[in-house]
Amino acid sequence: MKLSRNELVIALVGQPNCGKSTIFNAASGFRVNTGNFAGTTVTYTETKVSLGGRVIRLIDLPGMYSISSHDIAQKVARDYLLSGRVDVIINVLDTSLMARSLELTIQLIEMRIPMVLALNMFDEAQKKGLEVDLERIKALTGVAAYPVVAVEGLGVKELFDAALQVSQQEFSPVVPTYDRDVEECITDIAGRYPATLNKTLSINERFIIIRLLEMDEDFEDVVQRVDREFMEYVLEKRRLLAEAHNWPESGVFASHRHAIVLDLFEEVSRVTSRSGTDIREQIDRFLINPIGGLVAIVALLFFMFSAAFFMGEIISGLIEEPLDALGLRLTGMASGMTHVVVSGLFDGFVAGVGIVLPYLVPLLILLALLEDSGLLPRIAFMLDGLLHRFGLHGESVVPIILGYGCNVPAIMATRSLEQERDRILTMLVIPFIACSARSVVILALAGKYLGAAYTTAIYLGNIVIALAVSFALSRLKIDVAPGVIMDVPPLRRPYLHIVTNKVWWRLREFLTFAWPVIVISSIVLAFFSFIGIDRVINSFIAPITTGILRLPEETGITLFLGIFRKELTLLMLNQALDTSNISAVLSHVQILVLVVFTVLYIPCVAVITTLWKEGGWKVALYSIGLNTVVSLAVAGGIASVAGLF
Amino acid sequence: MSLLELKKGTIAVIHRLNGGKGISARMSGLGLYEGKRIRVISTAPFSGPLMVEDLSSGARIMIGRGIASRVEVTVEAESK
Repeated sequence: MKLSRNELVIALVGQPNCGKSTIFNAASGFRVNTGNFAGTTVTYTETKVSLGGRVIRLIDLPGMYSISSHDIAQKVARDYLLSGRVDVIINVLDTSLMARSLELTIQLIEMRIPMVLALNMFDEAQKKGLEVDLERIKALTGVAAYPVVAVEGLGVKELFDAALQVSQQEFSPVVPTYDRDVEECITDIAGRYPATLNKTLSINERFIIIRLLEMDEDFEDVVQRVDREFMEYVLEKRRLLAEAHNWPESGVFASHRHAIVLDLFEEVSRVTSRSGTDIREQIDRFLINPIGGLVAIVALLFFMFSAAFFMGEIISGLIEEPLDALGLRLTGMASGMTHVVVSGLFDGFVAGVGIVLPYLVPLLILLALLEDSGLLPRIAFMLDGLLHRFGLHGESVVPIILGYGCNVPAIMATRSLEQERDRILTMLVIPFIACSARSVVILALAGKYLGAAYTTAIYLGNIVIALAVSFALSRLKIDVAPGVIMDVPPLRRPYLHIVTNKVWWRLREFLTFAWPVIVISSIVLAFFSFIGIDRVINSFIAPITTGILRLPEETGITLFLGIFRKELTLLMLNQALDTSNISAVLSHVQILVLVVFTVLYIPCVAVITTLWKEGGWKVALYSIGLNTVVSLAVAGGIASVAGLF
Repeated sequence: MSLLELKKGTIAVIHRLNGGKGISARMSGLGLYEGKRIRVISTAPFSGPLMVEDLSSGARIMIGRGIASRVEVTVEAESK
């Protein structure tokens, strides 16, 4: 039962990494993140677009391989579909993997929700030598199909026009027919289908009966609660059917569906010879080779961070002098309280332009390239074996590497891990990963004052610590990680407009949220030191700063502010120590200790909040405790050992 | 013979998935089910996963060793 409403709800549904989010962005402007790996989208996003004079609510759902859900992300998609809120489905297919993509299509057809097919990556399929007969698809399934190249925006307009049209017509799909005895079984069960069930599950009967026969536990639970007797009847029928086919109960429908899909695929497509060897294929052959791949990954990551450092150095070098000169003129003009506010405001402003942006922008660009190229799943492939020894596995690699950008989306990305154990473990490891804010601290302090060797050592040490934490935690809870099953998409050329949009989108978060926080903190700090409160906070934290870490007491407040935004520690340092040349005030050991501590200690407020939301308050508290203990032990250890000499 | 025992380049047909309902559902979601022809294209270092190509679609999937050991296959052609 649907309430009458003016809005039309269109949902993008499809298997992971087929381009749903790219189509969403093509229709609505850049709003959601995209990437060339399964599980970029883990929760649904909606936006309003107007089309043909109507307001449409467009929903971007996480990918799912089939209707039965295995992880939290897929569950989100499926629950949304089953909620009865969707008027039209746009089923997005990766045309280059059509045989596999049709599995979900067939299941969606059984739901009988008006639908159109978006044959995305149509160009890639053609390159692969796959010819698709669109008319034939329509004839055999009753669903119209449209070629789309979402990254270039091709075919998107036609697709949405078709979706709008299908909402206005009677939708009559060709629902697949199974073997005679299977069909008889469905008919028998339908004969006893309780009317009460229609109120609970507002989806058509046949679809639900098939779900039950496929042993879909989520449906079994619902039906069991509504009508036990009916459920028992279904179970009996299911057992008989499996016996007759000599298949495991769960496999009867799956194997039928595979056969139907392969038939359909053969009917609608023709494979011609592919045109020559692809350059991408040759690169890939090198990348997935055990030795070549490993060398390539290490070189790539080293290149990424050094490129970010050098680009940052050059940019900040260029703007440093003019900014300093401007600062002197501005602060010279005011006195007293006005001076406090002006200098605080200016310092905060400069900190953003002069220190964060030069390092942040190159890092964001490089991470965007990493996401879009398809390198992430290959890195996961290479590192899975190694990670296994530390209690993690390849599926955790993607979220962990995303953590180098920002820990918040990285923690969200753990939703695509199937096992709760792996998910919690990965969530606790991620806050140890040096996100871009902390990379700015590393590059601007260690990179500038300690040199390349120390900077590399900090990054490597950071990885070692994260692995050690994972190892220790996985011993506490001895479950064996069952291992990875993961799709490896082809390497793809990153598109300039997508990378630019992505970088701009993330940068905007910095400009509109983080930067104001920095400016305000800067004013507050200037005000604090004007009236002397900073000394109170500093002496309160002194046991840690001067006692364990052997740092000057003035660094206390900067570390405290770092809990809000990690960049603040670096930015406020200049202000707290009253110099822009840190090495004049801190020894090299102290700089190292400060950097290491900043990288490892309590995650920032945003990360804590996300941990709380995704894993519960226990995980959040555990993470805070864990990071505090580890950071004090490591940074304190370095300080004490150095103190011996 | 299990998938784990296959050498790089070998073409084989999946004969049976022994991993239990969860694992076989995940495998077939990725297009690996009974009757599918596959080829092992690489094995990762540090006793890492196998990379397998589904010959009907060209899709590539990595499969951890624990799971690969529970996939029964019949060899069709040895590696070149």
